[in-house]
Amino acid sequence: MRGNLRRRLGVVAAIGAATTLALTACAGNAAPADEAPELELSDEPVTLSFTWWGNDTRHAITEELIAAFEEEHPNITIEPQYTDWAGYWDKLSTSVAAGDIPDIIQMDEKQLSTYAANGVLMDLGGLSSVLSTGDYPAAVLGTGALDGTQYGVPVGINSYTIIANRDLLDQYGVDLPDDETWTWDDFVDTAAEVAEASGGAIAGTQSWGFEDGGLNNWLRQRDSALYTTDGEVAATEEDLESWWEFLLEATKAGATPAPSATIERESGGLAESFTATNQSAFGPWWSNQVQALRDASGQDLVALRVPSTDGASDGWPYYKPSMFWSASSKTEHPAEVATFLDYLANSEDAADLLLAERGVPANERIRDYITPKLDDVNQTVVGFLDDLAPEVGDAPPATPPGGGAIEAIIDQHTQKVLFGELTPDQAATSFLAELQQALDDAAV
Amino acid sequence: MSALGELRRIKGSTPPKQRNQNRAAFLFLLPWFLGLALVTIGPMAASLGLSFTRYNLLSPPRFNGIDNFVRMLEDERLHTSLGVTFQYVFISVPLQLGLALLLAVALDRGLRGLSFYRSAFYLPSLLGASVAIAMLWRQIFGVDGLVNTVLAWFGIEGQGWISNPDTALGTLMVLNVWTFGSPMVIFLAGLRQIPAMYYEAAAVDGASRRQQFWRITMPLLTPIIFFNLILQLIGAFQSFTQAFIVSGGTGGPVDSTLFYTLYLYQRGFANLDMGYASAMAWLLLVIIAAFTAINFWASKYWVFYDDQD
Repeated sequence: MRGNLRRRLGVVAAIGAATTLALTACAGNAAPADEAPELELSDEPVTLSFTWWGNDTRHAITEELIAAFEEEHPNITIEPQYTDWAGYWDKLSTSVAAGDIPDIIQMDEKQLSTYAANGVLMDLGGLSSVLSTGDYPAAVLGTGALDGTQYGVPVGINSYTIIANRDLLDQYGVDLPDDETWTWDDFVDTAAEVAEASGGAIAGTQSWGFEDGGLNNWLRQRDSALYTTDGEVAATEEDLESWWEFLLEATKAGATPAPSATIERESGGLAESFTATNQSAFGPWWSNQVQALRDASGQDLVALRVPSTDGASDGWPYYKPSMFWSASSKTEHPAEVATFLDYLANSEDAADLLLAERGVPANERIRDYITPKLDDVNQTVVGFLDDLAPEVGDAPPATPPGGGAIEAIIDQHTQKVLFGELTPDQAATSFLAELQQALDDAAV
Repeated sequence: MSALGELRRIKGSTPPKQRNQNRAAFLFLLPWFLGLALVTIGPMAASLGLSFTRYNLLSPPRFNGIDNFVRMLEDERLHTSLGVTFQYVFISVPLQLGLALLLAVALDRGLRGLSFYRSAFYLPSLLGASVAIAMLWRQIFGVDGLVNTVLAWFGIEGQGWISNPDTALGTLMVLNVWTFGSPMVIFLAGLRQIPAMYYEAAAVDGASRRQQFWRITMPLLTPIIFFNLILQLIGAFQSFTQAFIVSGGTGGPVDSTLFYTLYLYQRGFANLDMGYASAMAWLLLVIIAAFTAINFWASKYWVFYDDQD
């Protein structure tokens, strides 16, 4: 029975384990000091911790990059801490609670404001004597700033895209649509056509509604956005209702797979997706995922523009920073942190290793330098982003603190719509209430 | 073997000459007590404190009284998760114990190769809550999985069992029932403790096998059934891994596998609402304690100890 008692308390202990550490660490969690730190490199050996999320390819590349940096700076040791996306935020929040914030942090747009508002991230403006950001377009650099304070240096840029499998389209005799003029209806019709031509062997398009990229594009096409610049929810019930309504229409038209097949694939991640396994002709993705999808599928995948209501794309496409480089506000070695960040952001040696694995570089000088060295797939991605440039509008207003919960909220509601548990208008009401609650809960 | 009866017997007063030995025993137990204090009692006390705070992990906790507990009253997903968990516990645990008892009785009939079967049936218990088995479960019950392949042999068209809200929880129950090995081994040990002379006497009096089972085996086995019931109930209330892996951490489809602990995890880490998650942990402790207490109370009416005077 003794073991039994321990099991009973297991859940409680798991929660408590992290928090005991946290309680002992609270004292150190004050707001960052205002004076600019003196950036003087130490002669002593310095160790910096560096954390990122990613897959095995990224881990290998980053380890190589660290080795190259350490060779240039013999007294700086970079201690890597990496994991996959799913475990990354659990680990990072627990480290912060334990008072053990990694010196250099790979940060996501949806979490940036949450961490910044809680005083975890350093104002990178104070590092400007070492860390140069001159080669970044102001609009792109601005995505890493909140209320004028630079908390992150954008790493790569992305755009939302519909990925088409050209081999499957050829096989079933369907022409690749003209993505400069296509509408949402064209998209669904073409997808349904492929599904029918295949006799149900493949799906027309993957379903959408499991992350916020698709929703952001839908909202922007309606001159709306997810958030206002003040960090309030801007999306309306009508916008959301129409989004889910359209998903149901596509499902009814036979363009998307059955809900249960969608859900099963969805929980299996990128590798099990319809696109990666060549079981759908189209699928909505981010442009930096093309490489991984190509590797998994082995077929001819191309990035197409997102369809629109009227066949024109003016001002609503946007570049999303794939991730940011951020630093801990508690670091003891700001000069060394700045040196490493500068290496990540501006060094051609680093770019030779990183290539476009973290997205097409946001640094324009580095992008020009690296483009000829990219493989065919990534060249086409750069081409796609460049072609889009004339139509790209301002980035959407930043995600306010607490907005990181949106992915789970969207996912739940889309599931309920697909399985008929909620009508699109009920889902819209519930979605807005839950998102608002998440923002309220996070208010510091 | 009656573990509980044994415990009662030990509980008497200690003769003086044993006190020195006790001191040595406590010394040897010290590492365990230290572990208990540091990794169980300490964190528990901390989580009790945190359950009265707003705590997002990134900033220090702030006291907010019983707010977290008040919020629970209106939290629909919390209520969903309680519903899912109760369904899971009250359906899968009786089925699991029934199967364990059935097989224990069958194996107790002096089967050849008993030890092989015992090990084979016990194996799933060791693996049941592991990540690997949960992954395997996804494959077996997937659209293109083993279950549907077998069904197809009989001309039945299957479905995505884990991705359908009506059947997803059922597959997790099957997974739990499948880990019947550990209660079965305890049942087997219990069956071995029933003196053969009872059966011999009953056989002389002309009792059938069925009568022997209901009149001798079952009453003498009730303490073991009680023990297994408590153990499995507590375990089932805390199930996490299976649902986490099978649903990819979402508790889906449509929250149909949203176990209480899974929702607790989501609140704590996805919503950075660790104060609320701590409060949830304490509610779970109270629920489990309540069910255990009810069981102990009810045991007076159905559990039979043959060493009772």
